[in-house]
Parts: sequence; structure tokens; C-alpha cells
Amino acid sequence: MMNPTIELNGLEVQLGSRTILHGLTGVLKSRAIGLLGPNGAGKSTLINTLLGFHSPSKGSARVLGLDSHANGKELRSLVGYMPENDAFISKMSGVRFVRYMAEISGLPPAQAMERAHEAFVYVGLGEARYRPVGTYSLGMKQLAKFAQAIAHGPKVLILDEPTNGMDPPARKRLIELIREIREASDICLLLSSHLLRDVEETCDEVLILRNGQIASICNLVEERRANRKFLELETIGAEATFTSTLEGLGCECAVFTNGRIKVVMPDSVEIREVFKVAADKGVQIRRMNHRRDSLEDIFLSAMEQTGAADGRI
Amino acid sequence: MAVYKRRYNSYTGSLTAPWSRFFVLTRYAFADLFKSRFFVILLILSLVPTLFFAGYIFIANNKTAQLLMQLRSAGLFTVETQYFMVIMIVQTQLAFLLNCWVGPVLIAGDLTNGALPLFLSRPFSRAEYALGKLAVLGLLLSAVTWVPCLLLFSLQAGLAKSGWIWPHLWMIIPIVLCSAIWILMLSLLSLSVSAWIKLRIVATGVIFISFFVPAGLGEMFNAIMGTYWGRLLNFSDMFRLILAKGFRERTVPLGSSGLNEIPVPAAWGVLIFVCLLSLVILNARLRARETVRG
Repeated sequence: MMNPTIELNGLEVQLGSRTILHGLTGVLKSRAIGLLGPNGAGKSTLINTLLGFHSPSKGSARVLGLDSHANGKELRSLVGYMPENDAFISKMSGVRFVRYMAEISGLPPAQAMERAHEAFVYVGLGEARYRPVGTYSLGMKQLAKFAQAIAHGPKVLILDEPTNGMDPPARKRLIELIREIREASDICLLLSSHLLRDVEETCDEVLILRNGQIASICNLVEERRANRKFLELETIGAEATFTSTLEGLGCECAVFTNGRIKVVMPDSVEIREVFKVAADKGVQIRRMNHRRDSLEDIFLSAMEQTGAADGRI
Repeated sequence: MAVYKRRYNSYTGSLTAPWSRFFVLTRYAFADLFKSRFFVILLILSLVPTLFFAGYIFIANNKTAQLLMQLRSAGLFTVETQYFMVIMIVQTQLAFLLNCWVGPVLIAGDLTNGALPLFLSRPFSRAEYALGKLAVLGLLLSAVTWVPCLLLFSLQAGLAKSGWIWPHLWMIIPIVLCSAIWILMLSLLSLSVSAWIKLRIVATGVIFISFFVPAGLGEMFNAIMGTYWGRLLNFSDMFRLILAKGFRERTVPLGSSGLNEIPVPAAWGVLIFVCLLSLVILNARLRARETVRG
């Protein structure tokens, strides 16, 4: 049986006299896991603990079945890590920096050089690879950090705020790369971000932390499946007969101002039937949003709760 | 992840032996050092005295050269323990200067932009990281201390003939051992300063200060208290004392007055204490995690 990606057993981490993580317990089985939470929730501490930088004061954390403390070195041999803060050697050229890191991960010099060039071209910094990393823009530094995280071909990719400081096109490109890597290989992904959209676009499961405790563990795939018939309509000319007809089909409707209607549809009703009813009743549908219960809703719901009893919402 | 395909592929090739990976740091550090013209000049200058010492040995063992130089006293050029002690003292002081230039940048460069988590998030421990950096100074300072000294010893053994080597063979041990403790102390001290201070000029200054200020304070203590124990704060003198005893000499060449009164174990204790203190500082500074406030 395959090991879960991350397994937390009453994990408690203290830094000095302060307890940062309070007995986290949970199992995350998906290959792409998002880590969410407000500032100070303990996301970076959890990542540092998984990497073996912090020792748990109680409990344990396992990644792919390896204990972060007892099997730290073995675990780190599987990991590619992109830290949140600046992490580079400013005077080194980008490609030499990535080669250096790959060699420390155990790649022979020739292979490390080859992989460094490939990683740089892959992340879109091919033209800038011979420039010192210190001269890169913030977005380029992020990409260089990403390149060093993937150059040695890790099994687990840990990305801490990967899109920080990136402009929208660069962010989009990086998210595409992350998705591509996830789909093209058997790599496991742990992504910590403040941007819910980043997590929503790349992850299958989300761990939401709040004040060092688990606020929620949510399987996004299941959530998406459960809410696939949720419609938001903007209409002109909709009258009570339109919503009553839809309700007659088994839908639940909520009418707002300016012709906005929310419709929760049963599995038996198709969207084209909504169009048909609208045509019959002379209603113009000016906008239709076929949306799921978004991660934002899930996150806000988790933040409102004082602590989910079983870690699920 | 081939360049032409622009696709990600995981790495499935061979890996280097885990024990050898610390040497990657050493290799990269040397590559960076040799890009500096100033460093290359400093290294060459550190080896220049060895040429003069070699010339001295040549003249001491060459009657024709002595006649050509019109040297009448045959005992003017002697190559015995005192001579090798002087070589050691000169070369170890040059090693100190070299260390002041090289040491401060070794760790500071990684700490300045937070690269340490990148090293330590790999199958690479803090001890291996420190060992990799220590090897840079170890190899470099060896190249200007015991290695040239042993070469000169070999030269003398070759030129003197008539069995000179056998009664002097024991000198190899103090040459290597005394160099080792000096190199270790210098390396650890400069690495700990490098881990603490990021600016090279300041770090170099701190290394100088850590040698000369305690020595000055020790002299003040001696003058006020009428004792000689203040010499313990003079690391160079402690090294010379260990060197003199290693070479079975009663007096310490180029040392301060009253130095012979200090017991040799105390001198060893001082140098070992500096090493341990440096290790404590390194242990505190070489952390992957970020500072936690509050």
C-alpha cells in the first residue's frame, strides 16, 4: 500500500518557549497539497519541520512514510525546496548556482551542469543564465530558486510562496510549470501560498492552518465534484414564473437584485434546460457562471470556525 | 527536461558518494578564490620565503657556494632545529595573513542572501557544510605551512647526506602537529567570524582584533599584577611555546619574555579553548531556520 504524502501525528513544535504548532494530526494523501493560512499560522514552521530544520517537541511528521526527524537525511534526498525568502549566492551566475546546488544533491558535475542548463531553459531564464543571480529582478530570482529546486529531479517539491513578487504573466507561467511538472511526473507537491488561486490551480488537497492548529483538511477534487451544478445567472426580464419553473424542475433558486439569480441544480437537470426555460419565458441570460464552491469560500469558512473537531469541514 | 523538448523529466542517473559531497563546497570555494588576482599574489608571496629558506639550505650544504661567497666561518650556515622553528614561525604568520583574507568570505557569502537553507534542505548536514568550508582553509594553510616545511626538510636530508635524516626524523612530528593545531585554530576562528559578520573588511578587522587586543590586554594584566599569566591571551606566543617544546628547545625563539614560565599544557588549553569557542559560535550561527520573533 502506498504511503500517504504527509502524515502528522500530534505534531507539536516549540521555538524557544513559544509553541508554534499545537498537536497537528492529519493524513494528506493527494499528490499535490496546498498549505494555507493567515500570517503566523505556522505554515513555514510546518515546512521547516518537514525538512528536519526543527525537531518536534511532541509527536511526529512523516513525508512519504519517512519520519522528518529520524530519517531526515533520507527524506531530504527526495526533496526539492524553494524557500519563501531570498536564497541565492549573489555573485554566482544563475546556471553555476543551480549546478552547485545539484552537485550538493549528489549529481556528478557533468550531469549537474546539463541539468542546470535544462532547468534554466525550462523555467524561461535561458537568456539570463550567465548573469550573476544578484542582478536578477525579484521574479527572476523566484524562477532561479524554482530551477534549483527541480534541477536534481526530486520526488517531493516543497514550494513556499513561489509566486511572491511575480507579475501576472510570470505568475501564470510559473503556475503552468508547476502543473506541468505535477502531471508529467510522479512528483509530490507541497505548496504554501497566501494566494488561494495558486493553490486552487495546482493542488488537489488543502491543509488550512490557523494559530498553529489545523482549521481544515479539504479535498478539493471531492469538493469540486460535489458542487458541480452551482449556477450564477445575470438576467434581464426574469419574473417569478422563471424561477418557479426552474423550481418545478427540482432546482433551488435564490433571487437577488439587478436580475441576479443563484441556482443549485440537481444531477438530473442539465444546463441546456435552463436556457430552454429562459427562452420560453422571454428571459435574457446576459451572464452565466458555472462555478464550484470556491477555495475562498472553504478558506473563509475554516477561518470562521473556532477549530474543526475532526479537521474536516 | 531536455532543452529542445522543454519538458520536465526526473533525474534517474548515478549519484556521487554521500561522504564526498562536502568537497563540492571546497571545490567551488577554490574556483572562486583563484578568480581573485589579489589572492593569487598573496599566495605566491606566502611561498616566496620558502625559496629563500631553500637557498639557505643549498648554501649550507655546498662548500663551493660558500667559497664563492667568501664565507670563512663554516658554522655560519647550520640547518638544525632552530632553523626549522624559524621557518615554521615565518610560514605560520604568513598563513595567518592568508587566513585573514580568505576566511571572512567563506560562510558570509552564503549567509548574506540566505542560501544556507538551500544547502541544508539537501542530504547535507551542518557538520558537512562546516567541514567543506574548513577543508578550504585546511588545504590552503597546509600549502604554506607544513608542506613547504617538509619539502625543505627533504631538501636538507637530500643535500646533507651522511645520515642527517635519521637523527632528525623526529622533527616531522612537531612540524605536522604544530601546524595542525595552528591551522585548526585559525580556520575555526575565521569561519566563526565569517558566520557572524557579513562584511569582509569588518570580519578581517575582527580576526586581527581577536589576536592583538587580547594580547595587549594580557600585557596590561601582567604589568599591573606583576605576573606572566597574561601571556595566555597571546595566541601567537602560545603557539611558539608549543612549537619550542615540540622541537625540544628550552627557549622560545621570537617570543616574549617570561614565556618559558607558562606550562605547555596551558598553551595547548588556550588554543583548544579558542577552537571550542569557535565551534560553539558556528553551531549557533549555522542554522537553516529563519529568525523567529516574539
